[in-house]
Amino acid sequence: MIDQGTGLAGMVDTLFMTPAFLWFLAVLPVILILYLLKLRRTEVVISSTLLWLKSLQDLTANAPFQRLRKNLLLLLQLLIALALALALARPYLRAEMLPGQYICLLIDRSASMQTQEKAGTRLDLARESALRLVNEMRWGDRMMVVTFGETADVLVELTEDRVRLREVLGAIQATDESTRMRDAFFVAQSLHQTNPDLSVIVLTDGNVSDLAQILPRSEAGAPSATEEELVLESQMPELVFFQVGETRDNAGIVQLSMRKPSDEAGEQQTFALVHNESANPLQTTLTLYFNDVMIGVSELDVPPGADQEVLFGHGDLGEGLLRAELDTHDALAVDNQAWLAIRPAAKLQVLLVSEPKATSTFYLQRVFALDPRAELETVAPSNYFDTQEYDLVVFNGFAPPSLPAGSLLFFNAVPPVEDLDVLGELENPPVIASEGEHPVMRYLNPANVGIAKAIRLGLPSGARALASTNGGPLIADVSRGGQQILVVAFNLEDSDWPLNLSFPLFVQNVLSWTPRAALSETRTTRAGRPLALPPDPLAESATVAAPDGQSYDVRLDPMRPSYFAATHQVGPYRVALGGRDMTYAINLLDPVETAVAPAEALEIGRGRVEAQKEKVTVNREFWRWLVAAGIAILALEWWVYSRRAWV
Amino acid sequence: MPNGTKTESKALLDADFVRRLERLVIAAKRVQLGRAKGERKSKRKGSSVEFADYRDYVQGDDLRHIDWNIYGRLDALYLKLFQEQEDLTVHLLVDASQSMAYGEPAKIEFAAKLAAAIGYIALIGYDRVSVEAFAGARRQVMRPVRGKGNANRLFSFLSGLSAGGQTELEDSCKSYVLRNRSKGIAVIFSDFLDPEGFEGGLRRLLQSGCDVYAVHILARQEIDPEVTGDLKLLDSETSACTEISVSPALLKRYRQNVDGFCDALRRHCLARDIGYMFAPSDTPLDRLLLEVFRRGGMLQ
Repeated sequence: MIDQGTGLAGMVDTLFMTPAFLWFLAVLPVILILYLLKLRRTEVVISSTLLWLKSLQDLTANAPFQRLRKNLLLLLQLLIALALALALARPYLRAEMLPGQYICLLIDRSASMQTQEKAGTRLDLARESALRLVNEMRWGDRMMVVTFGETADVLVELTEDRVRLREVLGAIQATDESTRMRDAFFVAQSLHQTNPDLSVIVLTDGNVSDLAQILPRSEAGAPSATEEELVLESQMPELVFFQVGETRDNAGIVQLSMRKPSDEAGEQQTFALVHNESANPLQTTLTLYFNDVMIGVSELDVPPGADQEVLFGHGDLGEGLLRAELDTHDALAVDNQAWLAIRPAAKLQVLLVSEPKATSTFYLQRVFALDPRAELETVAPSNYFDTQEYDLVVFNGFAPPSLPAGSLLFFNAVPPVEDLDVLGELENPPVIASEGEHPVMRYLNPANVGIAKAIRLGLPSGARALASTNGGPLIADVSRGGQQILVVAFNLEDSDWPLNLSFPLFVQNVLSWTPRAALSETRTTRAGRPLALPPDPLAESATVAAPDGQSYDVRLDPMRPSYFAATHQVGPYRVALGGRDMTYAINLLDPVETAVAPAEALEIGRGRVEAQKEKVTVNREFWRWLVAAGIAILALEWWVYSRRAWV
Repeated sequence: MPNGTKTESKALLDADFVRRLERLVIAAKRVQLGRAKGERKSKRKGSSVEFADYRDYVQGDDLRHIDWNIYGRLDALYLKLFQEQEDLTVHLLVDASQSMAYGEPAKIEFAAKLAAAIGYIALIGYDRVSVEAFAGARRQVMRPVRGKGNANRLFSFLSGLSAGGQTELEDSCKSYVLRNRSKGIAVIFSDFLDPEGFEGGLRRLLQSGCDVYAVHILARQEIDPEVTGDLKLLDSETSACTEISVSPALLKRYRQNVDGFCDALRRHCLARDIGYMFAPSDTPLDRLLLEVFRRGGMLQ
């Protein structure tokens, strides 16, 4: 957007996109001069001008606006030149209108857009605004519609088809997802690179959780923007942030988890965090149900804008569905409930990332098969991607660029952990010492294990060597920030360890060591993120029943987890898979969504896009009208020229 | 017909046409008093062919008119009286202003031919023919002549006419009438494009007591101009210029004005018993004389 200038120059800047073309107005005096020089008439001698004079007098006496008509051609030509020069300067008006030509509409469909406002939900308001924009579309305008929640969907590519646009806008459904604008933004940005005229209108309440990921936020005026950031910034399309919604009357559950205290004697606990966004104190109750049976109620008194932790203590619940419900009727209902699917501890999800054909893979699959708690899935490194669904991820000869969630076990690979370095290689390292106190080394003695070669590791501070040789550790605990990470520094194929009794014991210890092994299993996934369904060699497909009763068939892969993506709603998803029934809980649990108060600006990178309320005011160019007027006047001028009856 | 006449007339009128003219006579509407005996009935009784009465011979009477049959029977001298046939003065007034030089063929040329034809008809009818070409103060005068033998002189005078000067119809006519008092027929050849109007000139002619005929000569280029574009029109007489941009509307209006002008002149003449003949300069002469002038009552 062009800044408001000062004085005449500023006004010119504000009214015209390319004021430099106003120099073409210099054509006007040229036309005037040409007229002053006047056309040279052919002289014709006739017998008498008597009758001609009389005819002229007759005609001019009948013609109104004689004086004007005398110079009508000049006037018309000046108008044509004026219209064309102004058209070149691309004037625009700021008005509730569409910006010219190409519009990319980004519509928020996240959970917070379900917030009830006076005139309907925020999504309804956004839809209304969008439809109004469609109605304002001029000839040649094109619009595309992208919705975004947890993910972004291009609903319709740039089109002039208003019927289709209305259809698409009418069909947008709100989801229970968090707001992530990054993907939608990059769709718009990539389109912006091919269409520099593209204007991007964001219809949202402004509660976006990933603005910092679009462009790193830096202080305004900070001189230290990197070159990359500057390039990114220069490629930013012009954003119009059209804010919908005004209420802040909401409270919701923003965290729900189950945990067991460190001492084994303690009871299981369910932890919930309630946030009160509204301007009034929240006095209500949070009720915890297990399989729809109430197992706990807690009184709440949450001050405005504050959080309150709630802790429910209860015995081992076994398998079932835990539900927390906040007894409040506020603008946003989605966050008043949260679920946890609890499954028996016996089932631990283990992912083995290893080349399927390698001997070591075979060893590991066999050893995990020995443990009834483990549900092992194997995936080749090439098919691996970051996941959060597993209690234990075993990497054999492969280290991912970033660490996944859950406990991790690396064989012959070095995880990307700070200060964990490869110093070289060890030949025939004997196992000299082992840390018997560590849970994974309990009950086993690897002293007689033969190893042909191993990686020589340099451990970061705070790491523990569980088995060592002269040159360094062979097995190390490099846990970081509560995440358990074990590294075995040699290839199973270069050792006789798989044939040793200590190997299955080690694996059992590792499984028991994982935090979830001891607890009843809780599973929760954010709405919009895919559910990972375990591979099942026996079942070809699974049936997923969504909370609204709709059911989906998902084809299963015998080797790899399959993913179910239609998790737009919160609530329990029941999966029937090869005769087993599993429940997955999909939750919102997003403080950003619960804080429904609309944002006043979108801060992206160093820019700040102020919210526009009620009306979208944008730059409407009208050079086309000027050109059309110019052509029309030209036609009129020709007509006048060919018909004129005045001197 | 003398050879000279033939060659002279070739320039103005071709011989064939001249022969055809010989069958025509100029019709005087009113019986006029002439100066010499001519071939017209006069109020005076005289020695023409048409018998009127007898009277006693007195000394000095022309012996040729004595009726010798009566003398034989009655032995008394009686003179036969005939209806006197007299000559008529035909005044040919040719507008020789600069505007008459316009047109293809030039109007003055056309006017000269017409004047020659009518003058010739008059000459063979033993009428007196007086020609004057006028343009303001500039005059080209031919003394009145009579008899077919003067045709040559008439033709050479007319073919030597040149155009120039401004149209001042009234002054020119007034001056002519004052100088030529003989009554007869006055034929004026003009485009009548006089800024002062045509009325004054015609009135002067009428006041002279002549039968007046107005031959209105316009060039085709004046009646139906073929002009386009932005023009600066120069008046050939006054050099006044008028700038026009030709448009269909203007052309239409101009044609209406030409028609209106001719119509006004015709009505004016009709109301004053002036014979009006419209003669576009590109009209074939024979058609004009044999049809239009006859129909107009000027020729018989």
